[in-house]
Amino acid sequence: MKNNYLNIFKVTETQLQTLVGTALAHGGDYCDLYFEHTTFFNLLLKDGVVSSGGFHTDFGVGIRVLKGEKTGYAYSENTEMADMLAAAKAASAIASGTAAGGRTYMKVGDTMSDLYPMKENWRDRSADTFLPFMQELETAVSSRDRRIVKVIIRLSDSVSDVMMYNSLGELTYETRPMGSVTVTAVFQQGNKTENKSASRSFRMGAELIGPELMKELADEVVSGIDERFDAIRPKGGQMSVVMGAGASGILLHEAMGHAFEADFNRKGQSIFSDKMGKRVCPEGVDIIDDGTIAFNRGSGNYDDEGVPGEKTYMVKDGILCSYLHDRISASWYGVAPTGNGRRENFRYNPIPRMRATYMESGDADPEGIIASVRNGIYVNEFSNGQVKIGEGDFTFFVKSGHLIENGRLTAPVKDINIIGNGPHALTDIVAVGNDLKIDNGTWTCGKDQSVPVSCGMPTVLISSLTVGGE
Amino acid sequence: MITTEEKNIAKHCISHALSCGADGVRAYLNKCVSDSYTILNGELDKVTHSADRSIYLYLFVNGRYGTFSTNRLEEKELEDFVGKAIVMVRMLGEDACRQLPSPERTARDAVTGLELGLYDASHESMDADTMLANAMKLSIYDRLISGNEAKGYSLISEECEYSRTADDSYTVDSQGFEGRHMETTFGVFSEMTIKDTDGNKYSGYWWQSVPKAADTDFAECGAKALERAVSQIGPKKRRSGRYRMIVDTNVASRLVSPLLTALNATSIQQKMSFLEDSEGKKVFSEGMTLMDLARTPGKNGSRLFDTEGVATKDSAIIENGVVRQYFVNTYMALKMGVEPTVEDVSRPCLMPYIKGERLQSAEKEVSLKDLMKLAGNGILVSGFNGGNCNPVTGDFSFGIEGFAFSKGRITHPVREMLITGNIIELWNNLLAAGTDARESARWQIPSLAFDGVSFSA
Repeated sequence: MKNNYLNIFKVTETQLQTLVGTALAHGGDYCDLYFEHTTFFNLLLKDGVVSSGGFHTDFGVGIRVLKGEKTGYAYSENTEMADMLAAAKAASAIASGTAAGGRTYMKVGDTMSDLYPMKENWRDRSADTFLPFMQELETAVSSRDRRIVKVIIRLSDSVSDVMMYNSLGELTYETRPMGSVTVTAVFQQGNKTENKSASRSFRMGAELIGPELMKELADEVVSGIDERFDAIRPKGGQMSVVMGAGASGILLHEAMGHAFEADFNRKGQSIFSDKMGKRVCPEGVDIIDDGTIAFNRGSGNYDDEGVPGEKTYMVKDGILCSYLHDRISASWYGVAPTGNGRRENFRYNPIPRMRATYMESGDADPEGIIASVRNGIYVNEFSNGQVKIGEGDFTFFVKSGHLIENGRLTAPVKDINIIGNGPHALTDIVAVGNDLKIDNGTWTCGKDQSVPVSCGMPTVLISSLTVGGE
Repeated sequence: MITTEEKNIAKHCISHALSCGADGVRAYLNKCVSDSYTILNGELDKVTHSADRSIYLYLFVNGRYGTFSTNRLEEKELEDFVGKAIVMVRMLGEDACRQLPSPERTARDAVTGLELGLYDASHESMDADTMLANAMKLSIYDRLISGNEAKGYSLISEECEYSRTADDSYTVDSQGFEGRHMETTFGVFSEMTIKDTDGNKYSGYWWQSVPKAADTDFAECGAKALERAVSQIGPKKRRSGRYRMIVDTNVASRLVSPLLTALNATSIQQKMSFLEDSEGKKVFSEGMTLMDLARTPGKNGSRLFDTEGVATKDSAIIENGVVRQYFVNTYMALKMGVEPTVEDVSRPCLMPYIKGERLQSAEKEVSLKDLMKLAGNGILVSGFNGGNCNPVTGDFSFGIEGFAFSKGRITHPVREMLITGNIIELWNNLLAAGTDARESARWQIPSLAFDGVSFSA
């Protein structure tokens, strides 16, 4: 297996050692090499025809040198020894003429199992084998609602061969698949137009493509469209918000996940940087960032620093108990890295990033949670979100939901932004449902670099958030 | 930058694709070199160096179409890559509208890549010591680390970055089009995080990005970032309601972006646009004029040709509220049966305006302060926090931060507020557009004033 990866990148172990030696020639504390060969493939169906598609190849090696917490980074788009040595020398510049450093970077254990074995390798499938699926999916969607005037289907996959080597002598390698399908339907009713999308994305092979996926997507993309035509903008202001199970995990991602990333805390910039060991949520609330869910979009056998994936409790019983660490922050805090050192590709140095972020189930009945709200809003479909790390102010955009009046769901609502403050929102959690659901849509996080993530949540009641409205 | 040998690689891809059965081919070769130096609290924190080279191929085969890219440019590998790409394109559905643009529409004046004056060759001799020194010039950490408690705040961290990028692209197609575009970017960035006496944190940032190294402004970056952070201390919420809204030029493009997306023919053909059937109609307020000034020499965003190689031109997108132009590429033109224009906007510029009075920018300068005086009372938006605009309906909802103002003067910062409405209605309530768009911005959108905007708190 090891030789397979060495052959993909046309390097020997001796060369790896030489590169590390060169990169540390100016006195760095730690060095790692990240080799990547990724093939991307995509197909697009519009107007009933799969009339565009393509594939893309990316290949290279990133070389990082750490001196204390300082980073030198360079890369080469080929693995000719001369070019890799040039990149190693460029990265080594960080250690030149600086007395700082002397930090210890610790060895990590090995991973025990493959979280995403491919039954069918995407690379072995040609484009024509996916066309029937896309055409049938288009028919399945169109046949579900006569108001549909357009269907757009995107199918994409990627397979990455990754090999990592570092100055501690750790050599790790793996192959990471990703498959995604997104369906968008446009509906017309009288002079009104509405659109709705549904997506699924998993770290798995081409066995993802099949009738079960087709039915899920076709059902979901037409569900709730009647309500969308009838939806209103609520009166804006502060109110109780019930977050529906599943995609509401975006709240955790924005309200606290980013603020728990250890780089922001190491620099003192996060609103949570002085909250370690303190209560940040009510008792009984557990919030997790997990890299070990089989086939999940955010999972990793290893992170992009060669650290095995793990399930990290950020909040246990309401108490903040861990930040999300890469090797730099782990060394700075004197703890083990948590497997959150991730990067978009070999062109970027790794930084702390989330994986699958979710809250564990509580014991409340979801219907009872809604029934407990006199006036408020229930939200269950989202698109984008954002956060200001220092201030803790976060937002997320709600694509659909309902008003809650006297404990009952009433008028549908859509296209509203919700804003809150992270620490306040967490302490304002009033009830946690028993229905945790992980959302498997095409979530992508864009903190300087894009990485695939996922999120999840049980039904949760927050006593006060600010809702946009007329 | 791109060598004759590398140009020949692109040309070889075209000839090889044609020999494998392609009817038409466009190749886009890009080469980019970039360095950045990041300073954290007065000390060097990160150095990155990157050098990229990749080729994109747009293949037209028997009425079928595909796009492909690779950074593996060795001849043998490329030939294999092209062969596999042709095989894949043959598998896709037929669509006769997929064609290269007619040759007479393509640019003929982008020969050297230097025509627009966006490339500064001095970057080639800029060494590591100079870039580090430039980065260090941005840091004002030593002046801020102590002594500000009396002013009501203390510094938590300062991060600043100096970067320089040289980008060279060469586009060639099988109909004889050749075009080149070269530009350099010298960027400075500073972000300050502070805390007030109660421990509340605030951050502010400032940046500049210019094509010529000599135009870099090192002096104001850190001070502006600090000023923006300090100005946010002590925010209060304002009651929900309708207010006049001023949007700072630094973030005003956020309100133009949904319009440009909706004007793209791809959105319109897919019925994903709230501006369908709007061409030639008065949709916005009388005073709203949005130009695409694509060919302004020396200005960020200018370009002589679009991604298809079609020549750009300076033109009106919206003129006195009338939609004058959709962005229609060759494919969409054939599909919709309309005349093609350009694929997308290059350098959008919103013209100055005050309701009831047409201004010429050369005659009068209209600043952010002028707009606040004009508006009297309201909320000045200095930043957006998330939100979205529905591409089909134009309904939007954005998180905002900024300042309440009264009688033209700022009274206090606000945050955790939202604006909600419809983007067409919003632009119909345009009161004024200033003349203060930042020289270095790709999108020349000045500070804006709107009437009757719905704020939630």
